[in-house]
Amino acid sequence: MTPVITMAAARYRYPETDHDALGPIDLTVLPGEWVGVVGPTNAGKSTLCYVIIGLAPQFFGGRLRGEVSVFGSPTASQPVNERSRRAGLLFQNPFTQLSGARERVDEEVAFGPEAHGLPQAEVEERVAEALRLTGLQDLRARHPLDLSGGQLQRLALAALLAMRPELLLLDEPTSQLDPAGSRALFDVLRGLHAAGTTIVMVEHRLEAVAAMCPRVIALGEGRLLADGAPAEVFNRPEVQASAGIPAFARLAALVGKGPPLPVTFESAVEALRG
Amino acid sequence: MARGLSLYAEGSSPLHRAHPLTKATLTLCAIGLAFILPSWPLVLGVGVALLSLLAAAGVLRRFLFVAAGLLVPITLLLALVQSLANPHNQTVILPLGPLAVHREGLYIGLLAALRIAGLVAATFLFSFTTRPADLAEALMQRGLSPRFGYVIQSALQIIPQSLETADRIRDAQRARGLETEGPLPRRARAFIPLLLPLVLSALVATQERAMALEVRGFGLKVGRLARYRIPDSLGQRMLRWGLALAVVAALAARLLGWL
Amino acid sequence: MAEIVLRSVCFDYSSAVPVFREPGITLALPQAAIALIGENGAGKTTLTKLLNGLLRPRTGSVVVAGTPVAERSVAQMAPVIGYAFQNPDDQLFERTVRDEVAFGPRVMGRPRQAVQAAVDRALDLCGLAGQASTHPHDLVLAERKWVTIASALAADPPVVVLDEPTLGQDWAGRERLRALVRALGGQGRLVLVVTHDIDFVAQACDWTVVLTRGLVRYSGRTALAFADEGRMEEAGLELPAGTRLARALGADPAPVGDEAFAAWYRVRPA
Repeated sequence: MTPVITMAAARYRYPETDHDALGPIDLTVLPGEWVGVVGPTNAGKSTLCYVIIGLAPQFFGGRLRGEVSVFGSPTASQPVNERSRRAGLLFQNPFTQLSGARERVDEEVAFGPEAHGLPQAEVEERVAEALRLTGLQDLRARHPLDLSGGQLQRLALAALLAMRPELLLLDEPTSQLDPAGSRALFDVLRGLHAAGTTIVMVEHRLEAVAAMCPRVIALGEGRLLADGAPAEVFNRPEVQASAGIPAFARLAALVGKGPPLPVTFESAVEALRG
Repeated sequence: MARGLSLYAEGSSPLHRAHPLTKATLTLCAIGLAFILPSWPLVLGVGVALLSLLAAAGVLRRFLFVAAGLLVPITLLLALVQSLANPHNQTVILPLGPLAVHREGLYIGLLAALRIAGLVAATFLFSFTTRPADLAEALMQRGLSPRFGYVIQSALQIIPQSLETADRIRDAQRARGLETEGPLPRRARAFIPLLLPLVLSALVATQERAMALEVRGFGLKVGRLARYRIPDSLGQRMLRWGLALAVVAALAARLLGWL
Repeated sequence: MAEIVLRSVCFDYSSAVPVFREPGITLALPQAAIALIGENGAGKTTLTKLLNGLLRPRTGSVVVAGTPVAERSVAQMAPVIGYAFQNPDDQLFERTVRDEVAFGPRVMGRPRQAVQAAVDRALDLCGLAGQASTHPHDLVLAERKWVTIASALAADPPVVVLDEPTLGQDWAGRERLRALVRALGGQGRLVLVVTHDIDFVAQACDWTVVLTRGLVRYSGRTALAFADEGRMEEAGLELPAGTRLARALGADPAPVGDEAFAAWYRVRPA
């Protein structure tokens, strides 16, 4: 299987800074994986997303060293806007991802496919599909600014899904959302994962990461601290000291259970019953 | 939340259905003629034509309502200033103490006001009957770069959104102790803390939006297919050329002294 | 006295958007770390804006720390109630974090030395001491939020409102928030935290107010706030992690907060 993402000794430095924001990183992500990325603020999680999608260095400038390849070709070989056929990145802020140039939800979703020059019939088909995947069909005629934060974030996701990306990067997608909005977004992601989309998700909601992501990588000061299953990663002391631990692990530790600490609700119930 | 700024008024008149470029040409030519034609009967003719078109589009009342607030003061101002102070003034109609209202100036002022009224009428005619999105689409189908088309399409949402942001900023700074009402010096001190966050947050938002658009494929040099058909016709194309020629002819006639 | 008293407060944005209907909100909040929770649209932000005068009630009275809000302008309420808004970019404009945090007390005319001392204290509490000379826009969003919190504290108000402070914070940030809320409460201030983070509520706030569609469904100790399942469901709220876990293990009533959880677990029937 060709890896979706390959990073080898990859380092990135923003312009006019004196240290690498990211790196050196060695990372391989295979098709269909759902990888959670955790770490404290400024650990390089967003930078990781920017490097994979190509915004770093194409949009920011700065220096990229080492190998970063997506779908087998180096990120530098293709402009970011071309990559949108196969990879998408969802940002934190629901409002600034709107084009601001469309007055209907369905037209907003159509923006990307239209920019790619797809025929009208195909644009309509993709829009309908993206709206269905994100549960926004009933809102298709609304003005985007009439939507709640959670709905806007799903709209931004629908706009990416209209391109049918094989790789989806998400940079703290729920950080500005309430619990209901987060749940709705995670539901969409679960569906995409089941359908085979490769997902790399930066998240601070550690309970959600532990419950949904079969693989977790922890970043600290630009480096990889751990890479493995949630139960393994969240039991590493260096991860606990920087990224923290899911609430259930904290409660288990409180009453003296473990190590290893359970990291999900179900495993905590198990562990505390004994 | 704030929507888009647009004067567009729903309707299905022939003007509404006309191609955006036809309407744009009509507007520009009407404005051209309003300023090129030398005498008031001709300019009035342009004005009457515009009023008829506004009526035909069903937006005459809306125009009068909106334009009155603009045109009445302008007319009064021009009439007054010109009738009092124009260097060509000779014949006094109405003495006013040390000053006097003169016929020549009054005529010049009213004619200028009439031209401006023509400009306003033509602009509103366009805005009331054309969806901005249609204009952008029509221009892009004629070859305008999608980046410029985007600028047109997004311009309209920017202002209402900025106004909302400005309100939030004022709330936040007032809650920190900044007085924003009262004597001028106090309000002047509030200027920077109110304006700068607006500018800075606009810069941040612009950068974030640019990244998000890039990631969605914006700006690809791909043949952008038409989003939808905007009906055009040979008749309209001929009309556009005809109007443009009329303006050129008027200009030539004016320069050659025939008018 | 750091207290908040609302009496029969009615408010609507327009006839089409009523928020607090007749007979209005009557609420007395003690000096404590208080959580204000409820679904979006329940009236949480509206309520907080009535406290500093950004919104004025149609009827009823609002008294904050002994000050009747109706008699003061918003700016005059600033020494009484510090408000950290949700979006830091709606207020940041100075060139350094220190200048930004000092803005409030400066504008209120406090003497320079007192301002510096207060700013230093606020920066320490917010973990920004090392960033005092940084340009606020060189910080990431989560860090910029801390600048707005420090700004709200810099004038030493008896009442502090934090609007969704946990959004976008990492684990260390949430811990620091918890410590901050406890510290402010210990200083005798009333801290009102508008939040959806139910775990934060359980860990940091002694008092909880539950708002549902413009009505106060509960105002009392957090320990008892989650006891009524119907109320939680109606308010669209979840249970904190510890409470959920304990309930799954048979606890009834389920404990709220880490200490209660540990205590319950020690003595629970086998």
